[in-house]
Amino acid sequence: MFTRLPIILLALILLAATLGPWALPWRHDVIDWSAVRVPPGSPGHWLGTDAVGRDLLARALAGTRITLLVAAAAAIVSLIFGVAWGAIAGWRGGKVDEVMMRIVDGLYALPFMFVVILLMVLFGRSILLVFLGIGAVEWLTMARVVRGQVLALRERPFVLAAEAAGAPPITIILRHLLPNLAGIAIAYLLLTIPQVVMIESFLSFLGLGVQEPATSLGILVKEGADDMDIAPHALLLPGGILVAILVSLTLLGERLRDRFA
Amino acid sequence: MRRLILRRLVSAVPTLLAVVILSFVLMKLAPGGPFDGERALDPATQAALARAYGLDLPLHEQIWRYLSRLAVGDFGPSLVYRDFSVTDLVRQGLPVSLTLGALALAVALVLGIGAGLLAASRAGRPLDHALMLAMTLLTALPSFVTGPLLALVFALWAGWLPVSGWGDGDAAHLVLPVIALALPVAGAIAKLARAGLATTLAQDHVRTARARGLAPITVLVRHALRPALVPVASYLGPAAAGLLTGAVVIETVFALPGLGSYFVQGALNRDYPLVLGVVTLYAGLILLFNLLADLIYGWLDPRIRG
Repeated sequence: MFTRLPIILLALILLAATLGPWALPWRHDVIDWSAVRVPPGSPGHWLGTDAVGRDLLARALAGTRITLLVAAAAAIVSLIFGVAWGAIAGWRGGKVDEVMMRIVDGLYALPFMFVVILLMVLFGRSILLVFLGIGAVEWLTMARVVRGQVLALRERPFVLAAEAAGAPPITIILRHLLPNLAGIAIAYLLLTIPQVVMIESFLSFLGLGVQEPATSLGILVKEGADDMDIAPHALLLPGGILVAILVSLTLLGERLRDRFA
Repeated sequence: MRRLILRRLVSAVPTLLAVVILSFVLMKLAPGGPFDGERALDPATQAALARAYGLDLPLHEQIWRYLSRLAVGDFGPSLVYRDFSVTDLVRQGLPVSLTLGALALAVALVLGIGAGLLAASRAGRPLDHALMLAMTLLTALPSFVTGPLLALVFALWAGWLPVSGWGDGDAAHLVLPVIALALPVAGAIAKLARAGLATTLAQDHVRTARARGLAPITVLVRHALRPALVPVASYLGPAAAGLLTGAVVIETVFALPGLGSYFVQGALNRDYPLVLGVVTLYAGLILLFNLLADLIYGWLDPRIRG
């Protein structure tokens, strides 16, 4: 039940976010002057409009799309970087390993969110920077996990055999190590995505992430929170989608991690 | 133990220095400066301003000046809050943020360890599964969603508590922010405590205690809890980082005059000295907390006192 339900929920959210913008009569940034702040169930605006007459459902779906895109991009950056870093450290071992892991430990001690915010402040607020920044700080756990796996794998007979047969390191890593890492890497990828979603929404909520006219779930939660005394559904809708994404991915990721770890 | 602390201190100082220097260099690399306005200033004024703030010096001398002022607690002037130095803002905001953070940590520890104990005492039963599922949900809920939701339900709809504001720090104004801040940390602590208890409950000394006929609750609290809390202690460092980060958003949600809300204003207005100062301060606090976590760690588990 705790595997199937999150998958169905995520599939529905993905589908709605992808197809939604074509199925709805309104775009997320178009103002309907004849329907400012209408309640849910109004003709043409199923879930009503916000304080300046933008369709809430269209905004929620557009925000979900941006949030998921940023999350996917940042997670892939962190996957590639983390796996490469961890695999090299684990494979080379010795001094190289020690230095590389010391760097990871040092970075772990940093207040990440603040460093990312500092980057936003200094280099302007762009979506590209949001996901580069997040991807750059989210690879650490992946690197640690992959390193641990590689350390364990390199003593296994099939790897030793490949080495003895004279296979070059790159072949060993690609042919023998990576396939065995894939499971645990995917589990941590699933756990990284909610982290990234959380950071992106956090930044956007504070006005430091995604910028108008583009929107994201963080921005929508902020707008909803500002308006919650009059229109609580404007908070509940994006908040609900965000929570559904985070909870589903966390449950799936933990399930997968427990299976491979 | 003393060696451990010393080693930690020795590694903390370069980390902090690296944060400050890196941030400072990034700040210099960033396009635009604090004196860029609508109209370009004439060269003489520009030069005078640069001299007044020491911006004409070579980079390493600027860094050195910043560091030596930091050492005596001077974070420089704020560019947005005129007439205030960053140190003034820190002095005003930090007590609010620390109160919030400390209370939230206390609530998270009580809730988390309590839930962990309860779940462990019913290991494998429905209550255990339900509690752990609830704790997973808590860790996945961002405080900027739970914060407004709590305010909506308990302040706007029920009317039991104030919606926002500091109210000179009276308890009623603190309840919702502290809870919103504590919940995700409580979830993480509960899972760690539960996992720790699962390990210790299977150990020999616990089996012996049970065999002597001690009450289950005595076995749990007196014999299993302390070693089980070791993973919780090692989580205190990350928890502090999470609480400080969460406080930024909670202070914004509940309009509290803490350091976090100044930080957000500074970030939105590109107030470099303020942002740099707060990042440095938070980095220092987090390193301090990691050290504290190590101390508690050593107290809980005598084997690692070297």
